[in-house]
Amino acid sequence: MTTTTVAAPTRGTSTSRWLRKNRGKLALAAFFAFVLFSGLFMMETNDWIITIIRGLAVGAITFLVASGLSLIFGLMDVLSLAHGELYMLGAYVGWTIYVRPDTFLDALTPIALVLSGMALLPLWRRIASMWTAGKWARIIAPILVGVAGLVIVVVLFPKFPMSMWNLDVYTEAPINNSVALDQGLQEVPPPADFDGVSPLVGIIGIWLGGALLGLGIAGGIERKAEVPASKPGVGAYTIAGGVALLALLIYVVNDPLTDWWYGLGTSPRFFFALVITVVLAFGLGSFIEVVFIRPLYDRLLYQLMMTLGLGFIIIELVRSVWGRPGFTMPKPAVFNGHGDACPGEGLGGMFSGCSTIKIFDSRVRMYNEVFIILVGILVLVTITLVIKRTRLGMIIRAGVQDSEMVEALGINVRRVFTITFGIGVALAALGGVIAAPAIGLNTGMGATVLLLALIAMAIGGLTSFPGAAVGAVIVGLLQQFMIKYGSIGIPVPWMDEPFKPSPVLVPASAILVMIVVLLVLPHGFFGREE
Amino acid sequence: MTDPLLTVHNIETYIGQFHILEGVSFEVPEGEIVALLGRNGAGKTTTLKSILGLTAPRTGDVVFDGMNLRGMQPFDIAATGIGYVPENRAIFGALSVEENLRLAERSKGELERKSDLIFGLFPDLERLIGLPGTALSGGQQQMLAVARALVPDNRLLLIDEPSEGLAPVLIEQMMEAIKQLSSDTTVLLVEQNFIVASRLAARYVIIEEGASVASGDMADLVNDEETIRKYLGAA
Repeated sequence: MTTTTVAAPTRGTSTSRWLRKNRGKLALAAFFAFVLFSGLFMMETNDWIITIIRGLAVGAITFLVASGLSLIFGLMDVLSLAHGELYMLGAYVGWTIYVRPDTFLDALTPIALVLSGMALLPLWRRIASMWTAGKWARIIAPILVGVAGLVIVVVLFPKFPMSMWNLDVYTEAPINNSVALDQGLQEVPPPADFDGVSPLVGIIGIWLGGALLGLGIAGGIERKAEVPASKPGVGAYTIAGGVALLALLIYVVNDPLTDWWYGLGTSPRFFFALVITVVLAFGLGSFIEVVFIRPLYDRLLYQLMMTLGLGFIIIELVRSVWGRPGFTMPKPAVFNGHGDACPGEGLGGMFSGCSTIKIFDSRVRMYNEVFIILVGILVLVTITLVIKRTRLGMIIRAGVQDSEMVEALGINVRRVFTITFGIGVALAALGGVIAAPAIGLNTGMGATVLLLALIAMAIGGLTSFPGAAVGAVIVGLLQQFMIKYGSIGIPVPWMDEPFKPSPVLVPASAILVMIVVLLVLPHGFFGREE
Repeated sequence: MTDPLLTVHNIETYIGQFHILEGVSFEVPEGEIVALLGRNGAGKTTTLKSILGLTAPRTGDVVFDGMNLRGMQPFDIAATGIGYVPENRAIFGALSVEENLRLAERSKGELERKSDLIFGLFPDLERLIGLPGTALSGGQQQMLAVARALVPDNRLLLIDEPSEGLAPVLIEQMMEAIKQLSSDTTVLLVEQNFIVASRLAARYVIIEEGASVASGDMADLVNDEETIRKYLGAA
């Protein structure tokens, strides 16, 4: 196919027209540039550069959460208020895989068995659709079956061999595991055993629990379905069988695999934690979309309440499993080197393995600043390419405008919704894992980042992916400059003392900037005008 | 007589709590152009959407090519071979002309296979291929909307108001294109402009207040001034 050029629209006065049309954006951009560069006169150049780099790092984390939010909001008009807590959950899960891979491996077997039982949902739906009974029986029976399945899972789960930390014993608390790993003193915890049930009963029992749970859900779906479920394809059996097989395999090789994993250095362990968390988060996000969001499309208020509630549930879940106090996550060795050759010099020093490098006479932390910013840029480029170049991206761009027409073209938009929600949650979880070594873990980290991400989204234009990036960078820079001015103060001509923004003003300043931007540009920087 | 390609049998459709279609029945024989006629708000567009499942009928059946479409999802219905050209054209502004066409592909390379047909009917589109959808004029958008429905191997096209808002010369062009493409595709047409409808379609169905009230050969309707006045206003 040939691409022929078309005569460009007449330029004539188009420059002045463009200027007039974008005067709000230009004024704001000039204002931000002025604020940014005026910092040069109020602090040392080194400090200024460091503050910018730190701001970009905060922006990168914010962007990972905001980009998922804007993808989801753009395509599905769903504002996921659980996104901050999913970011936090990502951090905690990543911490576990990184610091306590044995616990992760132990828990994987029962979880995979439950999922395997539930993965036969098409079969359970077929069975449920063939069951004929009175109206009330069809309402009550699925609930009873589902609850029975849930009880079995809840009872059997703790009986599986699982070497967990003990929240009540300080020396076994997560914080001490972190410290031990950081100092290279970590020992492989002793393998656990089935508690009170035989392995056979435990394994078959928990699978049956998952199956009953699936059957209960299937009964609920089929009661409302207009068309009875068709025969399940081979795919459902393959997935269920594969997951069950994986669960058994991990159970069998649990001990040698644990030993091997503990033998790895912190860098490969961190890499594993990143990849596995992102994959798990994608699965969790897809699950949330199918089970919780799908019934609520076009019901905005209910979605908000549902995702808000989901966030609270995640907080309580994390508190009960990982304990209340915040704790740390050691940095992988590749970003944590010390020694005579450190800090590394310039950008070339990035490969020296030092924890800090010197750029323009300023010490920059390899992990907290360089690595996090690089991940942010990598995600920005990757997602941009996916959106611009792939068929999935084409469907997303089209679906943002008119998902009904996309469906009328024969494209399963629901599946794209599920994938997009999964990607959004995966990005948030990625943000959580990479933020954890820099800022530590606590159950409040989700709320903080959600606020920043929502502000970044609003500044960028809610549904715009590049807008989320710009908004996140503005918010990140602002935060760091406010913190910096909090210590050095801003000289104000008519005041004797320089004005020092108190720490409370740091989050408030982000909201203030959002208000200013939205007053000038009601649709944000890249928003579409409705 | 062979079975019609599409049979709509007594469908009733609700949008929210509004009872929009209260019994629409008609047949579309293979290879013909059938026009759905009726006043504004009679339910013509909803009939098209009900066939596609975008507004699923609560009762009644839609049978396409021997297959009952009841309970199927819109994307599955479309994939059985039904193309849709909506009233508002629904060109994706964030996509280029080429991407708008590519999006309609159901297998890779379909656009290349159909490019002779599509650019034969609408030579302008080939020239505009790299432009974003937002840069197109109304007429160009209409051409692209029809072209998009021609990319996959559709056996039936649902075309909603192709002449709406177009200049007379463009209407002529669009009519010519629809006439040409109907040589190997069946068309169900919604058209307010009776002159356009009567010149294109061989058969007609009149919808009045959500129900099909009359149908037959277009040639008969043209001379039946009473029916025209009763259901379509002044001829």
